[in-house]
Amino acid sequence: MAVESTFGQPSPLLERAAVEARYHNVDALYEETRDMRLFGFILFLLADCVLFSSFIFAYLFLRASAPTWPPVVNGTQIGRLDVAFGALNSIVLFGSGVTMHFALESWKNLKTRAFNVWIVTTTLLGIAFLLGQAHEYTSAPAGLTWSGNAFGATYFTLTGLHGFHVFAGVCYLIVLTIQANRGVYTGSKYFGLTAGTLYWHFVDVIWVLLFVLFYLW
Amino acid sequence: MSVTAHPIDLHEAHDHIHPAPQGFIAKYVFSIDHKVIAMQYFVTGLLFMLVGGSFAELIRLQLWNPKGTFMEYHTYNQMFTMHGTVMVWLVLIPLVTGSLGNLIMPLQIGARDVAFPWLNMLSFWLIPVSGLILFSSFFVGAPSSGWTEYPPISIQQGPGGALWSLSIIVVGISSTLTGLNFIVTIFKMRAPGMTWTRMPLFTWATFSTAILNLFATVALSAALLALFFAQVFDVPFFDAARGGSPLLYEHMFWFYSHPAVYIFILPAFGVISEILPTFARKTIFGYKMIAFSSLAIAVLGFTVWAHHMFPSGIAPWLQIPFMVLTYLIGIPTGIKIFSWMATLWGGRIQFTTPMLYATAFIGTFSFGGITGIYLACVPVDLHEHGSYFVVGHFHYVVAGGAVAAFFAGLYYWFPKATGRLLNERLGKLGFWLFFIGLTGTFLPMHWLGLEGMPRRYASYETFAKAFPDAVFWNRFESVFSFFMVASVGLIAFNIFTAIRSGRKAGNNPWGARTLEWMISSPPPYYNFKKIPIVLDRPYDFTAPLPYLNLDEEPDPYPVPSEAVLERPRVAVPVGA
Repeated sequence: MAVESTFGQPSPLLERAAVEARYHNVDALYEETRDMRLFGFILFLLADCVLFSSFIFAYLFLRASAPTWPPVVNGTQIGRLDVAFGALNSIVLFGSGVTMHFALESWKNLKTRAFNVWIVTTTLLGIAFLLGQAHEYTSAPAGLTWSGNAFGATYFTLTGLHGFHVFAGVCYLIVLTIQANRGVYTGSKYFGLTAGTLYWHFVDVIWVLLFVLFYLW
Repeated sequence: MSVTAHPIDLHEAHDHIHPAPQGFIAKYVFSIDHKVIAMQYFVTGLLFMLVGGSFAELIRLQLWNPKGTFMEYHTYNQMFTMHGTVMVWLVLIPLVTGSLGNLIMPLQIGARDVAFPWLNMLSFWLIPVSGLILFSSFFVGAPSSGWTEYPPISIQQGPGGALWSLSIIVVGISSTLTGLNFIVTIFKMRAPGMTWTRMPLFTWATFSTAILNLFATVALSAALLALFFAQVFDVPFFDAARGGSPLLYEHMFWFYSHPAVYIFILPAFGVISEILPTFARKTIFGYKMIAFSSLAIAVLGFTVWAHHMFPSGIAPWLQIPFMVLTYLIGIPTGIKIFSWMATLWGGRIQFTTPMLYATAFIGTFSFGGITGIYLACVPVDLHEHGSYFVVGHFHYVVAGGAVAAFFAGLYYWFPKATGRLLNERLGKLGFWLFFIGLTGTFLPMHWLGLEGMPRRYASYETFAKAFPDAVFWNRFESVFSFFMVASVGLIAFNIFTAIRSGRKAGNNPWGARTLEWMISSPPPYYNFKKIPIVLDRPYDFTAPLPYLNLDEEPDPYPVPSEAVLERPRVAVPVGA
């Protein structure tokens, strides 16, 4: 990396001139490596995917090695989950993904009022989903418990992890609403809102997988 | 309150060098400076190495007599469990990446810090927290089912096991955050003109390691979270009676823990790739091949985990692909070994302490790597899996590989970190003690294993009856293991004396060619006053000397003698 070296370079002087012309103020350019936070956040979400993938692998592994599914406990087979209610709850969550998208778009278009309406709607839908999950847990089929069998272990761990992510997302949305209204974000700097939207869509996508795996399959 | 208008923000082209931190706590305890954090990793890593090493010596004392009368068998189980746990998760995983990676990588890419300094601080402080959780398990009965903690034993052993899981989850989070931080740093913060193929090879190795840190470690956290739930809430992931499977844990665990050995060894490869060209005074052979083979190892590392499970009863049709994939890892590793040898060939070699460690590394690591290929063969593995052969192989790779390379890097970059050189005479003595101790301790394990000595046994009385030489060789190993203790003690002594009274190092005491050697030693907190523009690959040893100085002040201790730094006498081979 010699600045002065001619080793292996056909025309170092020309290249140097080209680089300097492009980066005439190196320090300012350097600080402008703007989207580091976005990149970091996407990596965080990818790492989070590995967490869910590991538990989904555990579910597939145990399901594949079980003689019957849902498993038989004390001579009776565990009933299936309530697909109708699960679908309703999924619609609530997917709907919140749509409203979150509108919230971000309104912010980009400088429509503060619309932004507030959409983000509060998203938060309320998130809370509604969590309440729906609580209902699912309390009215689970007989024999389906966390420590009862492999089905319960994977079902409650995966949906519980997902529910925890939704809960964290709801808290994050509340923080974002407060921050946005206090003027933390501007029309061109709103990384927190982008991150919040990405996170919320991520939670949605994970739920698609979980719904297919536990309710439909 | 509502937002009435979005002010248009203007980017100000102000000076981006942040003010230096003030006060002891901000400077040394909760520092966000990557160089200070590297030191913190180094000191805690060395302390944990001391603890883990003491456990190892207790194990060797137990094996002095075949009957094993030094301690109770249960205590012995706790000792080898804690030795493995401490050495893997509190020494090897954080130490090499945390100290050398943190110190050198941002300097090598011409950055002022890592991408998320605050996250870096958090990553470090999770390590002592994890250590505290782990050692607190001694008060409630330390875990005793080996560093892999296979269920069902790990579930049946009481609260110590749960503390173990929790502690390793915390290390996992730290490691994941470090990986995230380093990937973003290397992607986004390289100096202008530093393209991917102009990056120094240590940075390439750190990048490959960071990928493993980010994506593999989360799988470990998932495995241990499941284990933790099983231990505390009786969740039947691994209980066959309730539809779980102990084999599931092995899959989840090894999906991380095989890449984990590449987390140890890839930075080591990077260190060696820096040291060899510097002291052979010759450009590295096969730059791109070395760089991309690190990536290849990182990617292949995700596909071989089940070779740890051949005796655990996985399907035969699954065993063969895992065997073949494991063999494939020999290709990128071999590319590195041969490129290093070609780098040495025709060079003007100077055997300084880092170079001694680096050249010895090539031999010991190749030995450990080849026994690894041997173990990956299914029939051999079924025979040797539970024997000392595995212990010998593994320690050749970690002690003769990762730790040796870490010491090489320590001697090499110590002057950059502190501004003072370590004593060469003590360093060379320490080197010989380390490698004689390494060979004496771990080489006999191979033939003891081939004769059938089982690993993890507190007493080998039965084996000694069948193979009477076992007593001699075990005592031989125990004696030589203390050579390694002496050598680490010597390194610690060398560091202490060098900090106080070592010879002062200039910017570039070795005449090396990467960016970190073009600023003062130790570097100022902002590293680079002006971010350099990079136009060429590193390792060009034909450039005029003294090399470039990026500081405004002249180098106070310029490269000492022409003899050290003259142009290579032998012409560089074509294609190098």
